[in-house]
Amino acid sequence: MPSLVGIYETPGPVADCAKKLRNRGFDDLEIYSPAAFPELDDALDEKPSGVRIYTLIGGLLGVITGYAVTIWMSYDWPVVIGGKPFASIPTYTIIGFELTILFGGLATLIGLLVVGKLPYGSFGKEDDAYDARFSAEDIGLVVTCSDRDVNEVDAMLRAHGSKEVNVVEG
Amino acid sequence: MTPPPTSKDPRDSKTNRDIMYVMEGISPGYLLLLGLCILSVTAAGATWFYQVYYGLGLGGYTHPVFWGVYIVTFVFWVGIAHAGTLISAILYLFRAKWRNAINRSAEAMTVFAVLTAAQFLGIHVGRMWKSYFILPYPNQRGLWVNFRSPLEWDTFAISTYATISIVFFFIGLIPDLAILRDRSKGLKKLLYTALALGWQGTANQWKSHSRAVLHLSGLATPLVLSVHSVVSWDFAMSIVPGWHATIFAPYFVAGAIFSGFAMVLTVMIPMRRIYGLEEYINDYHFENMTRFLLLTSWIVGYAYGIEYFIAWYSGVEAEQTAFWLRAFGPYWFSTWTMIICNVVLPQLFWVKRFRHNLTLVFVVCTFINIGMWFERYVIIITSLSTEYDPAVWGIYTPTWAELVIFAGSFGFFGMLFLLFIKLFPIIAITEVKELEIHDKAHGGAH
Repeated sequence: MPSLVGIYETPGPVADCAKKLRNRGFDDLEIYSPAAFPELDDALDEKPSGVRIYTLIGGLLGVITGYAVTIWMSYDWPVVIGGKPFASIPTYTIIGFELTILFGGLATLIGLLVVGKLPYGSFGKEDDAYDARFSAEDIGLVVTCSDRDVNEVDAMLRAHGSKEVNVVEG
Repeated sequence: MTPPPTSKDPRDSKTNRDIMYVMEGISPGYLLLLGLCILSVTAAGATWFYQVYYGLGLGGYTHPVFWGVYIVTFVFWVGIAHAGTLISAILYLFRAKWRNAINRSAEAMTVFAVLTAAQFLGIHVGRMWKSYFILPYPNQRGLWVNFRSPLEWDTFAISTYATISIVFFFIGLIPDLAILRDRSKGLKKLLYTALALGWQGTANQWKSHSRAVLHLSGLATPLVLSVHSVVSWDFAMSIVPGWHATIFAPYFVAGAIFSGFAMVLTVMIPMRRIYGLEEYINDYHFENMTRFLLLTSWIVGYAYGIEYFIAWYSGVEAEQTAFWLRAFGPYWFSTWTMIICNVVLPQLFWVKRFRHNLTLVFVVCTFINIGMWFERYVIIITSLSTEYDPAVWGIYTPTWAELVIFAGSFGFFGMLFLLFIKLFPIIAITEVKELEIHDKAHGGAH
């Protein structure tokens, strides 16, 4: 099936066009942009990013590990200090805190890799529709559609201010 | 309908070209600077080998001062590391867009400064190869580390900080690595293709990326505050006069941000001029950064003042003596250097004309760096050399070995930074573009 690539200079029209295309039933869409734009965040998928779940699980795992390791080790080699409890919870809070951050941060990285599907594709080979101009200043909206819809999609892309529309045969 | 593109030649943007220009070519000046850095690192390495052979006495360690220049330099570099995270994480959460032009180089400085600082813990303990003793690992004696010790907290804080800084730095770099991948050839292309992880800037990739940066900022913000607090507790948890103060944590954090910002400016001002980045790093950035310096200078100055006040007000003779000796004892030079560099000189930044005079800003920032090193010297050395019992007081003077290794730390930091500017973009290209394209869409205002 052919893919039409609309080239835009600003993100607003891309978001509008993507929304209209989805309403018309075109679901095979992709956007390539040179920077992060809030307008485009929900253009293809309104669901919140799953990265947050990774951060949460990592952080919780970190705090549990921090306290568990310190408390367990205190009881594994008990040192009697003036009849005080073996585990000094207030001081172990620092270890618990640091491991919350450490595990949370590493889990966030894993979340980015899993949810963002990185590493992506084959080594050294980009998508057919990808162009180096999308890492310059242009934004690309790619619509994969059947041959009979090409004219309609082309018209919609141009109606939203696409400065050029190219066809990539998939 | 236009025909499909037949080539992937980039129709490049000015921002890409301007920022990537820094990475092109190697001038004789660059080589000379890199050579000097490598020379000082080599000298420091050789001195360290000799110290391992000779013993820590070479580093001037003798009664009563067993924490010398190595610990002073460790605290100094941890402090320098703080500006990067502050700019990347805290200013990100506050949506301070002016950070976009400076965050990359500040983040790089954070990573390099933490790596530099971490070595000093190993150098300080002597047998660096035994440093893993500080980690809780199963061993034949069934013995575990003491989690009540601030030194153990420090191990966790510094290693967490180093890891998170590297993760933050790398995540921010991924989209820029894709820009480099699209525009390089040969070995470089191979390197950037591997590091860019197949990034194409798809909607899903950006959404995950933005989310990850937001979450890391949320995690790194309390982390940056905790790390120097924990470093300060290395001192404050003991009962040494001049150390045992509750103000230490905020005092150290403010000092760290102060020195970190000064170092960012010290490096950025010449770099901006050499590589013609005036369009990206302009008066607006210097205005904000010098204001930050002024604010943190006042916090640091307040801490200096309150330390003296509490020493007097507490009525504790040892505290009063310690602080009297700081100002008028054998280390008076260090104390007054610290006060003049960190409190007096930054007051010039009240005047707008001075805030915009970059030569002056560079000079003041260099003095702040010197002053902040002396601050740690004053805190550590004066307190240890004049503890409770005058019979065991002693004078500490840095030895040649300590000074060579100290100089080597600047060489190491400089070497990493010089290699960095030729391998990676020193300004976050995608973040600058985000503002530019946003401005284009909204008629030049954001």
